[in-house]
Amino acid sequence: MTSATDSDDRPGLAVTTTALAVIVFLQVPVIVVMLAAFSTTSYLTIPPQGLTLAWFGKVLSDPSYLSAIRMSLILACGSTVISLVLGVAAAYALFRKSVPGSEAITSFLMAPLILPAVVIGVALLQYFSLTGLRGSLIGLLMAHVVITVPYIVRSGLASLSGLDLAVEEAARVLGATGFEAFRLVTLPLIRPGLVAGALFAFITSLDNVPVTIFLIGANQTTLPVLIFSSVEMGIDPSVAAVSTLLIVATGIVLLIAERRAGFHRFV
Amino acid sequence: MIAPRHGLMLIAPLALVLAGFFLVPVLMMLPTSFAEYVPGAGLAKGVWTLENYTRIVTDDYYREVIWRTLGLGLFVTLACLVMGYPLAYLIARGPERWRVPLILLVIFPMMLNLVVRSFGWIALLANRGLVNNLLIDLGLISAPLKLMFNLTGLMIGLTHIYLPFMVLMLVAAIRNVPRDVESAAATLGSSRLHVFTSVTLPLSAPGILAGSILVFVLTISALVTPRMLGGPTYKVMATLIYDEFMQLLDWPSGSALSFALTFMAIGVIWLSSRLTKRWAGMA
Repeated sequence: MTSATDSDDRPGLAVTTTALAVIVFLQVPVIVVMLAAFSTTSYLTIPPQGLTLAWFGKVLSDPSYLSAIRMSLILACGSTVISLVLGVAAAYALFRKSVPGSEAITSFLMAPLILPAVVIGVALLQYFSLTGLRGSLIGLLMAHVVITVPYIVRSGLASLSGLDLAVEEAARVLGATGFEAFRLVTLPLIRPGLVAGALFAFITSLDNVPVTIFLIGANQTTLPVLIFSSVEMGIDPSVAAVSTLLIVATGIVLLIAERRAGFHRFV
Repeated sequence: MIAPRHGLMLIAPLALVLAGFFLVPVLMMLPTSFAEYVPGAGLAKGVWTLENYTRIVTDDYYREVIWRTLGLGLFVTLACLVMGYPLAYLIARGPERWRVPLILLVIFPMMLNLVVRSFGWIALLANRGLVNNLLIDLGLISAPLKLMFNLTGLMIGLTHIYLPFMVLMLVAAIRNVPRDVESAAATLGSSRLHVFTSVTLPLSAPGILAGSILVFVLTISALVTPRMLGGPTYKVMATLIYDEFMQLLDWPSGSALSFALTFMAIGVIWLSSRLTKRWAGMA
């Protein structure tokens, strides 16, 4: 046996074929949903019988879908912004080791990731019922902050850890206040990591059912909760149409994040 | 260094939000889990009982649901490992120009709405779904296979949902295996299979363990996919908790089940960190 050349430890044909089959498996439900959205039949058929955009029209003129889309966007944008402010501040303090017991605090801030989401959901259901917060927007927003903020703290800590403190100190020496130094020097340096973290937070909020479903009041249904409950009622292609809109939106966001920030490096 | 006073001011807002909207609500479920449930009236005042917990281990139905949940976690983890490793290996060691497109194809379904993905599986696995129609058209079966509302459906759906997490963990682990060690083994006469089983696989073991724990904990905690693919009758722990709170209104029992699920999730994570430390100690 001669020395191992580069091509020797390349994956063989069997591995490559299996891996590509797994890639196909991962895309199958996505493709199926998109195909089903264009069917002219009132029940779900694949391949679609005939071709129509009517289901998209139905979704985009249906007030319950529109109000659910609005609610989802309000929650996702609101909780991402609040989480960014609270999470970056906390990550910065933890990074500068300016508080005692920073390891324990970090674990506490990440704890909502470890607890099953359904447990957070029912705990908040009882809590909101007792305090009268059930059905309030502020309660829902705070619930979404709880489930999204760990992603911000994690990406904040990860981006800060590669940072040279000397740059910020230099700004201070040159007369910048602490906040100016952070805003003008540190923040631009950690921006790509924070963008990735914010995207994760946004999608986590937009995706969430197990916490949201326990807390929403009348007229507060979010898009995933609406799809979730309409599937229990029975399926028509408008569910596939609204899902297709989400698939396309997710794809576009992912491609932009990849182009702009090299998103795959942060996953 | 910034002053401790400033550090506290930066952390306090988030710590307060998490205390008020996470820690306290979870802790407040503790008394509820020891309360007695009176059908129709809610909680009995001033009566404390262990029954909500003892029922979890003694009641046949609860036991069945718990075993089903744990079995599902195990099967899904194994399926993710078997399917995920070849893909992770291709991404980590395959042609450079394939890497980013492949990773994006793994991330894309992961970023996609969970409800949408589960909905896709309903369209595929239902009695008149794509899979059954295809098999019947091909003449392979005469009556539709039961692929939903049972273990098969949940396994397929949950494996699809959590496979990307496993793949990403394994990619990181395989990339950490030094190629020099593999080359050295090959130079010394090991076959490719032997290099893989005696070098690559053991050296990527920490990543395999981390990915497995992650997938297992996510699977036993899952609510949406089991509900959509299992329907209202084929229950796992999370959907049982959902029903106790939303349908039966038996909050004490639901709270006890919540703590049982939390205990299982944290217990698995704790066990694995013990295991990792022991491995690190041996190395």
